[in-house]
Amino acid sequence: MEMIERYIYAVTQKLPQSQREDIAEELRGLIEDMLDERAEGRDITYRDVEEVLLELGNPKHLARRYRGDRNYIIGPELFDSYVLVMKIVMTAVAIGIIATFVIKSIIDPISILDHFVEFIVSSVTAVPSAIGWTTLGFVLADYFGGVKAEDMQFDKKWKPSDLPAIPDTKRQIKRADPIAGIIFYVVAIMFFSFSNEFFGVWLFRDNFSGVVPFLNEETHGNYLPFIILILGICILKECLKLVYGKWTSKLVVYTAAVNLVSLAAVMLMITGSEFWNPNFMNELVESGVISEGSEAFGTVSKIWEHSTTWILIFLALSLLWDVIDSIIRSRKK
Amino acid sequence: MGDAKQHIDKLMQELRRGTITIGVLSQLSEPQYGYSLVTMLDEKGIQVEPGTLYPLLRRLEKQGILDSKWDTNESRPRKYYLLSETGKEVFELLVAEWKNIVSSLNHLIEDEGEGK
Repeated sequence: MEMIERYIYAVTQKLPQSQREDIAEELRGLIEDMLDERAEGRDITYRDVEEVLLELGNPKHLARRYRGDRNYIIGPELFDSYVLVMKIVMTAVAIGIIATFVIKSIIDPISILDHFVEFIVSSVTAVPSAIGWTTLGFVLADYFGGVKAEDMQFDKKWKPSDLPAIPDTKRQIKRADPIAGIIFYVVAIMFFSFSNEFFGVWLFRDNFSGVVPFLNEETHGNYLPFIILILGICILKECLKLVYGKWTSKLVVYTAAVNLVSLAAVMLMITGSEFWNPNFMNELVESGVISEGSEAFGTVSKIWEHSTTWILIFLALSLLWDVIDSIIRSRKK
Repeated sequence: MGDAKQHIDKLMQELRRGTITIGVLSQLSEPQYGYSLVTMLDEKGIQVEPGTLYPLLRRLEKQGILDSKWDTNESRPRKYYLLSETGKEVFELLVAEWKNIVSSLNHLIEDEGEGK
């Protein structure tokens, strides 16, 4: 009966080599026993064979039962550890990729676009391969057994005091806020790196005809790493908000420290004699926006001369308000 | 009605999965081969499909609960299974657990009946 052999083959080929012969022999005996019972002494027909095999069911399912119902690749015993390790790996990869981008951009801000492209490329390649390798590791660990969840020491004894606090909605930081902040600072970094010449008074004569820049273009290259560093510190502040997720006194202290550092850095930078465009007033006159000696000229030049002070005062006040605001939020009950 | 039947089918499947092991072990103080076990259990009102029983026997053998031996003297070779020393112990403990469950559940079910 060829069909019987085909059935046995279909079952055993999905089983480990070492068990195939034994199981095949046993199945053959079983099928013959079942046929004998069905035929009750008369000759066995093709129909009998078919009915017996139908009773035994799909060979795939039978093979799976022999293998022990393994229709998963990472079993329940290892699954919790798998999720935990995956989170750790993903965090590490994310930190690595972001840090590479930030450090490269600080060292070599001129090619920030290249670094950004590298950043995207490494995100697309590194993340899936990290997921893949982690999963493969666990699949192998599960397949070859031996590794038990208890051995991995991840499941520390649980205590009721481990329960996380219910988030306090009043002190909670909305995730959108720091994310918007980070995007703003990244855009600012890119703006200062590529298009600082557009940062100035825009001239329109019928249509756009040029810019009188606020910044000193000759020294801008020297200041750029400084600007990026300051904005980088601000990004760090937003990241801290994201990580903490709610206003705590610790976070308030960090915010205050970051604000103080960035205020000092900005002050140091913009009070330097070479930061602003030294020919700003002359260029305004040349472009014909105002004429020298007019009343408007006096006003604008006064504003221009005092702008540094005003910017600093404004910045100091807003950073101070930022700190006060966070103190108030952290005190809310 | 159809819904209730569907639920029962699923629940019975889960319920049977554990009890079949007890049934099988109970018959193996004497050596038996797979198909004779199917017939024996069937006669005593426990229906097991060969496709379930054969892999189960093998698993129990691998766990060391059953011993096995091929008998090639008969018309066709048959693999006989028998409780091992560990298996006997396991079976005794399992029966005690089972009786506990039965009496506790009976108690629960009957209590609920009296409450009505």
